[in-house]
Order: sequence, then C-alpha cells, then structure tokens
Amino acid sequence: MMKGGLGGGSKKEGKMRIRAFPMTMDERYVENIWSLLKSAIQEIQKKNNSGLSFEELYRNAYTMVLHKHGERLYNGLREVVTHHLESKVRQDVLASLNNNFLQTLNQAWNDHQTSMVMIRDILMYMDRVYVQQNNVDNVYNLGLIIFRDQVVRYGGIRDHLRHILLEMVVRERKGEVADKLSVRAACQMLMVLGIDSRAVYEEDFERPFLSQSAEFYRSESQRFLGENSASVYIKKVEARINEESERAKHYLDESTEQRIVAVVEEELIQKHMKTIVEMENSGVVHMLKCQKTDDLHCMYKLLGRVSDGLRTMASCVSAHLREEGKALVNVDESGANALNFVQSLLDLKDRYDTFLVKSFVNDPIFKKMISSDFEYFLNLNLKSPEYLSLFIDDKLKKGVKGMTEQDIELVLDKTMVLFRFLQEKDIFERYYKQHLAKRLLLNKSVSDDSEKNMISKLKTECGCQFTSKLEGMFKDMSISNMLMEDFKNHIQTSGTSLCGVDLSVRVLTTGFWPTQSPATCTLPLAPRNAFEVFRRFYLAKHSGRQLTLQPGLGSADLSAIFYGPRREESELKEKSDGPSSSTSSTSANGPRKHIISVSTYQMCILMLFNTRDRLTYDDIMNETDIPKKDLDRALQSLAMGKPTQRVLVKSPKGKDILPSSIFAVNDSFTSKLHRVKIQTVAAKGESEPERKETRSKVDEDRKHEIEAAIVRIMKARKTMQHNVLVSEVTEQLKSRFLPSPVIIKKRIEGLIEREYLARTPEDRKVYTYVA
Amino acid sequence: MDLGEDVSSMFGKRSKTNSNSTVNRSRSKGMEEAPTSFNQKKCIAWFRQYSTPNNADTIGPEGVEAFCRDLNVEPENIALLVLSWKMGAKQMGFFTLQEWLLGLTDLQCDSLAKLQGKLNYLHSLLLDSSNFKSIYRYAFDFSRDKDQRSLDVETAKAMLGLLLGRQWSLLNSFFQFLDQSRYRVLNKDQWCNVLEFSRAVDVDLKNYDVDGAWPVMLDEFVEWLKVTRGESNIQ
Repeated sequence: MMKGGLGGGSKKEGKMRIRAFPMTMDERYVENIWSLLKSAIQEIQKKNNSGLSFEELYRNAYTMVLHKHGERLYNGLREVVTHHLESKVRQDVLASLNNNFLQTLNQAWNDHQTSMVMIRDILMYMDRVYVQQNNVDNVYNLGLIIFRDQVVRYGGIRDHLRHILLEMVVRERKGEVADKLSVRAACQMLMVLGIDSRAVYEEDFERPFLSQSAEFYRSESQRFLGENSASVYIKKVEARINEESERAKHYLDESTEQRIVAVVEEELIQKHMKTIVEMENSGVVHMLKCQKTDDLHCMYKLLGRVSDGLRTMASCVSAHLREEGKALVNVDESGANALNFVQSLLDLKDRYDTFLVKSFVNDPIFKKMISSDFEYFLNLNLKSPEYLSLFIDDKLKKGVKGMTEQDIELVLDKTMVLFRFLQEKDIFERYYKQHLAKRLLLNKSVSDDSEKNMISKLKTECGCQFTSKLEGMFKDMSISNMLMEDFKNHIQTSGTSLCGVDLSVRVLTTGFWPTQSPATCTLPLAPRNAFEVFRRFYLAKHSGRQLTLQPGLGSADLSAIFYGPRREESELKEKSDGPSSSTSSTSANGPRKHIISVSTYQMCILMLFNTRDRLTYDDIMNETDIPKKDLDRALQSLAMGKPTQRVLVKSPKGKDILPSSIFAVNDSFTSKLHRVKIQTVAAKGESEPERKETRSKVDEDRKHEIEAAIVRIMKARKTMQHNVLVSEVTEQLKSRFLPSPVIIKKRIEGLIEREYLARTPEDRKVYTYVA
Repeated sequence: MDLGEDVSSMFGKRSKTNSNSTVNRSRSKGMEEAPTSFNQKKCIAWFRQYSTPNNADTIGPEGVEAFCRDLNVEPENIALLVLSWKMGAKQMGFFTLQEWLLGLTDLQCDSLAKLQGKLNYLHSLLLDSSNFKSIYRYAFDFSRDKDQRSLDVETAKAMLGLLLGRQWSLLNSFFQFLDQSRYRVLNKDQWCNVLEFSRAVDVDLKNYDVDGAWPVMLDEFVEWLKVTRGESNIQ
C-alpha cells in the first residue's frame, strides 16, 4: 500500500510525482488533477509533449472519471481546446489571409489532429465511460467540432477559404499552375470535419464549386459553339470532362467526380445537344453524308451521357434516313427501273448497317429506328413488291454477269431483309409466282438449286402457305419431263406421226400457276395435229382431266430459208446506182438457212407467210385470232427490232402499227448466227392497265382472306367484342398485308348480312358466331 | 273448306254475338262501341268484304286501300303499321286471312267501328320502348321486296320518316346524307342500328364512339355531318 498521506506532500524538484490513490477525493484534489491535465493538454497543443508521461496522465484522467468527475473533465477539455483554437490558432490563420493561407491552415489542421489524437489517448477512459454514458461527442469529435466552428467556419476564414479554393480551380482551368496539394489537403480536412457526413465539405466548398463551375461551363459552351464545328465541340467537351474527372479524383474529393461531371454534361451537352446534332455542315447530317463513322461514334458516346441524348441523335439520323429513302423510292414512272430501285435501297441499307455497327455499337434504339424507317419509305412506293420480285428474278436468271454463287447468295439474303419490311407481302407473292413461272417455262433459271434455295428463304419468313404453290410448280416441271419421256416412247412404239413436229409439252396444274387470261389462237395445222396426238395420249392416262393449251407461254423453233440477197448487199445496191442483179454477187450466195426461235404467237404469224407473200395487220389478226396486245408485241419484235432480228418487213415504215400496215418476209434477212433467237420486246414490269388488274385481283383476294380470318376466329371463340375481333384479325393477317379497321368492319357487316355473324341483343358491340 | 273452323280451333273461342248496328263514330278519345263480344264469323265476313276476287283468303293492295278508306285512316298512317305488326303481316299491301284473324282477335275487333275505337290504343303501343323497337324492326321485313334481302333506300326513307319523323331531329340530315351517298339499299343490320343510333347519340355527336362498332354507313354519316357543320377537316 501506499506510503504517505494526504495533503500536500513534498514535491521533489523538477519532477512530477503521482500521488498515491487517495481514499477520498476532495475538491482541492480534483482541482489539482485537473490542472495537471490541463497543463499537459496545453503542452501538447504547443507541441511540447516529449516530456509528458502518458501513463501518469492517463491515470489522472481515469481517476477523475472514476470518482464521478467526468463532467468536470469534459467541460474542462472543451474549454481548453476552445481557448487554444480561438486565441492562438485562429489568430495565426487570420494573419496569414494574404500570405500562404492554405499552407497555414493546413498546418494548423495537422497540428490540431496530432494533438487531439494524443489528448484522446490520455482521456480514453473518459471516452469509453463518461462519453458513452452521457451520450456526448467523443474527445476526438469534440475537437473536430471546435476546430470547425472556431477556425474553419469562422467568418473571415470560411469565406477566404472558399474564395482561395475556387480561385485555384479557375486558374487550373485556364491552364495555369495551382497548388494542388494544398487544395487536396483542404478538401480532405473539410470532409473529415463533417464527422459522419460530407455536409461541411458540401456546404463550404462543393456547392459553391459546382455553381461556379456551371457558370463557367455556360460561357465555355458559347465559346465552343462559336467554333461552329460539331466534331471539334465534341472533342473539346470530352477533354473538359476528362480534366474535371481527373481533378476531382486527385485533388478534390473523389465523391465530387460524379457531381462535377454531371454539371459539365448538363451545361455542355444537355443544353445544346439539339444545336450540335443539327449543326449545319458539321452536325449529324453532314457526318452521315460524308461517312464520318468515327465522328458519329464520338458523338454517340458523348450524347449517351445524358438522358434523351441518344434519342435526340437517333431522331436526327432517322429524319435524314427517311429523306434519303424517300428520294430513292419516289422515282417517277418513266424513270423507274426495278433493278436500280432495289439495288440503291440495298446500298442504302449497307451504308446504315455500317453506321450501326461502327458508330452506334449496335445500339438497339438505332437498330429499331433504322428498321422502322426502312419500313416506312419502302412501303411508300406501291410498286415495291413488284420491283423486289423483279430484282430477285434477275438474280435467279441465267447470265447474271460478274457475280459468283456466293455473291448472289449474299445479295439474296440482303434482299430478304428488305422483304421483311414489305407490308403488302401478298402482292409480292403474286408477282413472284408470275416471274417464277416465266423462268421455269422459258428455261431461264440458273439452276433448280438456287430457285429452291430462294423458296426456302421465303418459307422461313412466311411459312408454308406462301411457298406450297411454288413448290407445286416445280413438281409440275419434273412430272412433265417424265411425261415427255413416256410420250416419246409411245410415239416410237405406236409409230404415230407428228407431222414432222418435234413436240415438247409441259403440263401445268391450274391451281399452282399464275392465272392466265384465257387466250386462244389459231395454230397452224402441223403443230395443231401434233398436239392432238399428245392430248389423246394424256387423257388416256388421266381421264377426267381437262387440258387447255396456253399459247401465251409457249415457244417454237422454225426452220427458215431466205432467198433474197444478203442485207449488206441490198443496202449497198441502193446507194450506188449501178446495174444491179439480185442474185449475183462476189460472196458465196445461195438461199440462207436459219433456225428462228420464236414465241408461239410469232410462229402462228410467220407460218402464214408459207402460203402468202404479203398480209395486212387485219389479215393476220383475223387468221390467227391472237389478242391485240400480244399481236402488237409479236409483230414489233419480228419487224421493228434490230436489223439482225428483222425477219419481217413492214410498210409503210414508221413506228406505228396500223390495221392497214402490210407485212412481208424480209428476203434480205441476214445473220451471222445459224440459230437466231427473236427477243420479245421486254416488259419492264407491268403496264399500267395490267397493274390495275393485278391490284383489283389482290383486293378481291384480300376480301376473302379477311372474311376467312373473321369466320375462323369467331368459330373458335363464339362471341367477341368488336375491337378485340378487329385486332385479332389484323394480327393474323399482318404477315401478308395490313388491313385497315374500316375494311375489316365492312367485311364483318357483309358477314352479318349473310348471317354468318350476328350482334348480340344485349350489346350491339359484341358479335356471335351463327352456326 | 271451312277455313273459319280451322282458324277458330287455333284461337279457341267461338262466340255467338248479336251484332250491333254499326254506328259510325268519330275518332274521339277513349270512346268504344257499345260492348259486344268478339264474333269470329263476323270477323271473317268482314275480311271477305275486301278480299281479292280470285283468292278469298287474301286481301290485296286495292282491298287494303278500301279498308283504309272505310276506316278513315290514310294508308301511310302509322296505326296501320302497328295493326300489321299485330297481325304479323308478311308483306306490305297484303293481308292473309290468318294474319287478319290473329291481329283482330287480339284486339277483339270484328267491325270497323270497334277497330276505329282501338286506333288510339294502337298509337299508344308505340310509346313503349320495347314495343317500338319490335315494330321498328318488323317494319324492315314488312316493307322490303320479298326476293331481296335489303330494303331500297326510297322505301327506307319513307318508313324512317313514318317511324322516327317526330323523334329524331337528325332524320332530315340523314336523308340528305343518303341522297348524296352511293347507298341504294339498306340492309337489316344498318336498319336496326339507325334506331340504336337515334337513341344513343346526341345531336351534337359528342358522345359518338368511333369504336362503337357502328356500321360503316353511320361512321360515314357522322363524318359527313361534321364536315357539313364545318367541324371537321377530314374528308
């Protein structure tokens, strides 16, 4: 136990001695302990702590708290700290206002932190017991609060601090040097002073910083815009964002990064995005026109930062794309060329697909927008379905120049993408059938495989219904081939004569092939008889069927002998005026034999000249019974084409074919080729009346399809409300065409009238199926 | 054959009456002839006064005209339509004996005087909304040509005038619309919906529901009316 008693024992000189634990605590004793501690604290504050004994001080504090004088200690502490900060530290800082302010402040702060740590360590028992029990700030935090209130937030200091920090930022932004480390220290100090929040930092620095920055960037934006170049603007914005980001990360507080970047985005991007996007000669449109994929990508990245930025950009792109698309699609009648039409659209799609991948990173907003734009303008031109079919037709025909099989495959796949955008797929189907029929019958397909390939692509898109008839056409072709084999055998074995005609027949099942307007013509005797032989043969095999000859689709090879002088000579003779002889000439001359390949109609016409020298147009029409439109086409090809094709001559010369025009064999017909194919004047798509006819057939078909859909749906569901029915019908038909609600309503009324449906008595908007 | 016997077996009653002298009464409200009970034979005999020479069981157009004259009622009078409805008469301008007896037995009339007394009652039937609807619908089948499914527009207009003339303020507009349209007939659905329309849609068309599954003809009428009134720019 302790020696010595109470009361003032003798102090050994120069040394402090801890007294033994007193049994009781009287006021004086407490007072002494406190003054001990107080001076210790003050020494610490003066950085004179080397001579202090930690244990002794700790024990003193412990004693005080133990004997229930914690409050006294706490209040004392507060007083001492406050006094020191008020009278010493604050004054020092104020003195340095215009001279190393930040450094002084930082120094004071560091000193404060250091001494507070030590003070806290000494007073740890109070922290653990008194502070806890009385729910007051702990020692360290208390120190922070006092420092905050007495120093940092003291009027002049607070304002000056803010001013200095903001000025540093301004200088940095201008590119001048600033004391970054001091700034960082100051910011960290503010953060710490918030204790458990960033409120101090926010109020004293961040808020004014952000608002000053906003103003700064407001005027920056005007400067940038003044450069009048979108790509330059974007680059500058990116640079500024990076700069602010870096600054926040390294010299301010990290948590500010997000906020300052938001300010920059707001001032430089959000407020001006329309201007940038629409900037003349440098904005989005310019970039699209000049294929500036990289610039577009930069803009994409930038605008992606703000809400609605991408949408703004996308709508600008969309508007321009629609312009381009409309221009391509609104080709006028006379200039319209199906192949160019489709090719130009494919090129356009390629271009925008490149943009999509390279500039817009396959962003779904842009992807969707491009698709809807294409759908929009493709369907503006009502002939798109026809043109698409003609394009595909061209690629599937023999003689496609300059494309390998893979090339063609690629093009067809791209064409299918366009096909998907068509709203009137049923019209496409109709034309495709027609074109396919021609290819098959005139033997123009490149190969069966490529045809079937294309059909399977269509099947994947549209289902079996679309393609089952097309497949039927192929079947007919192969059956016909087998049939011809049998027929040939039959002829041989039965020894029937075909009158010298080498006959080849293809039998087409009516439902599969495009309907032909019933055409007749008077065949010459020989082919007619030959065909009869076949007809008998076929009907013997398939009784109960009916065969109808389709003269519009057939072709013939005629053997022809020309007795006149060769063309060049007869022309020469006209020029010179010398004596002429129609048969003598230097070059080998005799009657010229050729094989002429013609259409059935043309065959009928030409064979008339076996018995007659000249015929008028009317004569020909009467004798052959060919429909006027086809007759004109046939005669044009025979008499008014290229000189190497002119098998007939027409007089009077001229462009028009009149009923009185006279036709005769062109005796001077000359050709280098032994076999001459007469090209029929090609039909560039349909003529206007034909198109009207096709369209009205389509409308008829659509009526039936709509009614079938309505009946199907009503039969299954028994009752249905009007709007629901309309939308179900639209849904079911949308892969073929888009019926309007009015048309569907009309069909419903038609079905009500024919008593397939009825309105329910309770609610006239609800229909029931009438069994 | 005694058609009368067959018919009467259908109706059950067979009553013997003393026929009163028929007194021509003016059509003042509520006055009926001195009550005598319904006599079927008398009713049939009355029928025979108008029936056609070659078919005693049918009254033809001339007979109907005469009947109306005697009854002091114009043929276009709506009471006649109501009477025909009561009879279930199939074709305008004709009554069969069966129809005659059906209707007049229900009304308990076997003479002109009694029937005249019932004219007010016939009018009053129109006041009941569901009766009216029934009579309205009946009018379509009654007035159309039996070998056509639809009613030609002129006859339709006449019937509409008769039925809706006093109740539907848009009737005249509707007529004008029909005149300038390409509609030459009305089908049953359109006919029935005109009544619904007249009951459901206000004169200012504000509560016209575009999704209301109205026949296209009425959609077009509304559009036309709006344009005529200068309210719409859509043609």
